[in-house]
Amino acid sequence: MSALKPEIVEKIKSLILLYPAKQAVTLPALHLVQDQERCVSQQAIVEIAALLELSPAEIHDTMSFYGFFKTELNPLGKCRLWVCRSLACDLRGADELLNKLITKLGVAPGQTTKDGFFTLEEAECIGACEGAPCVLINDVHSHNVSDADKLIDDIRKKL
Amino acid sequence: MATVYINDKAVDIGDKKLNLVQAAELAGVTIPHYCYHPALSVVASCRMCLVEVGEKKPDGTVVMQPRVIPACQTPAKDNTVIQTATAKSKSAQAQTLESILLNHPLDCPVCDKAGECKLQDYSYNYGNSESRMVDDKNTPPNKPDLGNNISLFTDRCIMCSRCVRFTREISGTAELHVINRGSHAEIDIFPTEPLNNKLASNVVDLCPVGALASKDFLYTHRVWNLKTQDSVCAGCSTGCSIHLDTNKNVVYRLRPRENPNAQGYFMCDDGRLGYHYVNSSNRISKPNLKSDSGADISSWKDIMLSLRSELKAVASKNASGVAAMLSPFLTVEEGFLLATFIKSISPKAKLVLGPVPVVGEDDHYPKTRGSVPVNVKFTIRNEKCPNKKGIEEVIKHFEGEVVLISDYLNKNSPDALFIAAGYQGEEVSWFDNNLLSQFKKIKLLITQDLFPSALTDASKYVIPSAAFSEKEGTFVNYAGLAQELHWACVPLKQVRTDGQVYLDLLERKGLLQASNIRDEISKSIPYFSRLAGGKLGSDGIHLVNLA
Amino acid sequence: MAKYEPVLLKRISKDNSDHIDSYIADGGYLGLKKALKDMSPAQVIDLVKASGLRGRGGAGFPTGLKWTFLPKDHPGPIYLCINADESEPCTFNNRVLMEKDPHQVLEGIILTSYAVGASKTFIYVRYEYGDAYRAMERAVKQAYDKGLLGKNIQGSSFCLEAVMHKGAAAYICGEETGLIESLEGKRAWPRIKPPFPAIEGAFRKPTIVNNIETVACVKQIIDLGADWFKSLGVPPDPANPRDAGSYGPKLYCISGHVNRPGLVELPMGISVRELISEHGGGVWKNRKAKGVIPGGNSMGFMTEAELDTKLDFNGPGKVGCLGLGTGAVTVFDDHTSIVDVLYNICRFFAHESCGQCTPCREGTAWMFKIIDRIRKGHGRIEDLNILEEVGNQIGTMPGTTICGLADGAGWPVKNAIRKYRSEFESYIKNGDKKVRTLNLQMSHH
Repeated sequence: MSALKPEIVEKIKSLILLYPAKQAVTLPALHLVQDQERCVSQQAIVEIAALLELSPAEIHDTMSFYGFFKTELNPLGKCRLWVCRSLACDLRGADELLNKLITKLGVAPGQTTKDGFFTLEEAECIGACEGAPCVLINDVHSHNVSDADKLIDDIRKKL
Repeated sequence: MATVYINDKAVDIGDKKLNLVQAAELAGVTIPHYCYHPALSVVASCRMCLVEVGEKKPDGTVVMQPRVIPACQTPAKDNTVIQTATAKSKSAQAQTLESILLNHPLDCPVCDKAGECKLQDYSYNYGNSESRMVDDKNTPPNKPDLGNNISLFTDRCIMCSRCVRFTREISGTAELHVINRGSHAEIDIFPTEPLNNKLASNVVDLCPVGALASKDFLYTHRVWNLKTQDSVCAGCSTGCSIHLDTNKNVVYRLRPRENPNAQGYFMCDDGRLGYHYVNSSNRISKPNLKSDSGADISSWKDIMLSLRSELKAVASKNASGVAAMLSPFLTVEEGFLLATFIKSISPKAKLVLGPVPVVGEDDHYPKTRGSVPVNVKFTIRNEKCPNKKGIEEVIKHFEGEVVLISDYLNKNSPDALFIAAGYQGEEVSWFDNNLLSQFKKIKLLITQDLFPSALTDASKYVIPSAAFSEKEGTFVNYAGLAQELHWACVPLKQVRTDGQVYLDLLERKGLLQASNIRDEISKSIPYFSRLAGGKLGSDGIHLVNLA
Repeated sequence: MAKYEPVLLKRISKDNSDHIDSYIADGGYLGLKKALKDMSPAQVIDLVKASGLRGRGGAGFPTGLKWTFLPKDHPGPIYLCINADESEPCTFNNRVLMEKDPHQVLEGIILTSYAVGASKTFIYVRYEYGDAYRAMERAVKQAYDKGLLGKNIQGSSFCLEAVMHKGAAAYICGEETGLIESLEGKRAWPRIKPPFPAIEGAFRKPTIVNNIETVACVKQIIDLGADWFKSLGVPPDPANPRDAGSYGPKLYCISGHVNRPGLVELPMGISVRELISEHGGGVWKNRKAKGVIPGGNSMGFMTEAELDTKLDFNGPGKVGCLGLGTGAVTVFDDHTSIVDVLYNICRFFAHESCGQCTPCREGTAWMFKIIDRIRKGHGRIEDLNILEEVGNQIGTMPGTTICGLADGAGWPVKNAIRKYRSEFESYIKNGDKKVRTLNLQMSHH
């Protein structure tokens, strides 16, 4: 049973044409798989490795460096909610925001809510410091977040 | 002609392309290093080799660079100046060591590497005795089953990445990788691909600390009690140079010995781990002569006398009825002495070559997963014996041609056959049933071997062979490189080395001295003329010019 | 002084500022067309050299000069990597440029590629900049559709392929060789130099790595000329023969305890004090600044007394900071504990250290453990000495590390201890403690 869906395999093959070396498609391939499956499973790593003519260890080496990719043991929820914890946000209340979110969602950073909707994470500077404290909702910025409850409700409505 | 100045001492490095670590070695100065290895790519990540580097200007003044620089990534050029013991260099070295030890468990009392550990050695020479670290150390879990023979003590790892580079650049199998980042980085395998390639255990030698361990050796012996002897592996015709580590006549470990003439820096696991038969209690431990009266004789003196006279008797009735099988595991000296003895019994006696074990194809490394061809860096040869070339040349000299034992027995029926087997190994029989039944047809069978078998049961004379770790002599590998073996163990119980037995049969006095025999051979067999003088040096001598 | 009219940020408040039609209507891509028709690549390089443009990514290396390091008569391919990994804390100018005026950036990329002879450009955008990535991606597609990318651009012999590439949340991917390794699909462990990327870079080919703001400046220099660029900023200090000047406009990010955090474009050289008061709305809550970080976390601290320092390439160094960095100014007020600030910074670097070389891997983790313990109330005075020493030892300046992350990690530590030592000592002596509620250890991943 293949872990990679045929359209993902096709996309990876087309990306190989854009780069001078197959290994360069590692990161794009990992993104493709995680965006769809919310994690990169062990079998997916094996299949990506085969497509890129690398060992599974080489793929996993890159994957684990970033701390961004999840394994099938703790996949991402529908919404990865990352709270910036770098200096500019810390100076403007990121800690309180995070604590409120922890309380509201009932999970610690790194964990996913029971309904599989939110994965709460801490982020290093996400580059929206003019609107500190800020969060990322998957990969979209939300500035000036002071009301944790409203944030959660808005996200639930939108996604 | 380039001159490099190391700690104010001038060294001529000729036109060699060296980095500063290598240049310093020429001057007898050690620049401590972990991640650098001559067989692997340079990463300069351990920062242990940081030294002050400068240049001597034409007017004699020396200009040193303001920063310390890694010696391993710096090419040695004419007028390069290196200072390894200035305050700046020493401070850099001490800092690197303090940093490495911040998270180190300091469990030398239970660590295999103690006694041959670069962390111990460099800490002693270049580091501080106390650490300023009072916070909790990282304690990543150990990985006892990285591979069939490899354990990883993760908390001892200093992240030099030699092991990872080895599996990517030398074996090409790329099983090892780094996971996570920063101070949480660890070495690991991917679950579906454990570290089991045939060169795997080289990472244990490469590891400068006790992180990677060979399960075969783990906790068996302290290294400072081991005696080390230079020798040659008897596993295949690659003929890797090795170190034999023994204590009290027990072989504990084989390690590759660096030899630019031979295999370089590494050896395969089959050879490395395939020594246990040497210590086996199943070995034939004394000679035996089946007597008609039923009481077997075990005295060497009596057996030698009887053997000589029986063979002479056979030869007097039938000059070409005596034959000897020389196995490709005999040393050159042993082959020569046995051939000389047999020919002294009868000039018409026949010398033939024993079965040459061949398994599969030559195994080339690094492996690739893609279509890009790479240079071969290591080969495990399919010819699983160390001295076919040497023995063939001996036989050619005496017989003019080389005939295999099975072919010979298909066409001939000798009255007596001296089987100098000595095949190194316990697992697999070197003869099959066909050959055995051919042997059994021969009236007088003399078998010299390591382990009892159906053949020794059927032989009138059974003479024990010695293991390669008990011999001194010469092996010639596939490329014609002659290397010296040195004995590390005294043969057990009543075993004598094969060479000693032949010397005794020839009634030559004294103990076998390989260098004397080599000199003798060089004078009588042209192929071995370069053995003159008897000393081959630690890197061996090519008997023929390489193409 | 006449009020400065923004050039780089001129278009960002317009509707549809990111669409190519709006960009072209505002005169966009005329510079590119002119350059392709009337200038050789060498002439473009000369023009940029003459302008005195220095890289805006943090290192401040003269851009035109960097371009000349490429080997002459190389058969190619030559690659241009665009560093949109912007991860230096408190920096966000690249994000705004990409989101709001991606074609300005893209025109700069194409001009730069033309100048250096690149046939392919990899635009490496950090994953967290989702909207910016999509804006650039759309811009690239629009440019292909209009024949401004691809084969024979505008009828010239110049061909350029643009490939968008997403990062995955690692600060070290902003280091030029870390970016190259990440692009090649490996872990982002920076490379030892030599060889330098211009000789052997991405995929072992000659490569130039340039920042987003830098290439936007390139576009403006082609449009408005080197003299215009040189008319802004600060000429070289005559007393310093190595000073290459601080010319041109700079995007300054203002964040932290100010009334109006935001992005502002000004000629190089404004003082910190003036930036905060005139453009940042002043320190909030009517407080005073305890300290200001001039250019992103790595640069160190300026005390209140040092705020008249000019924000050009030389100024911050005069008061003991590492440099101008990204020009991202962060203010913290006098109600803020320096221990908290340093804790945050050390946590960042310990988390982001790539782990390749010993001093940084162990040093950043050690410094974090120490400041964590101090913050929790178990600090000792000698810890301050250790912090200062480690902060001094790690980095490319003493030569002990492979890349500059360690310099950036150590500088704020040694700066903080030196400039705020009495506050640290009193915190330790008084047994103050801060425990983060619902706390997370440096949650690795």
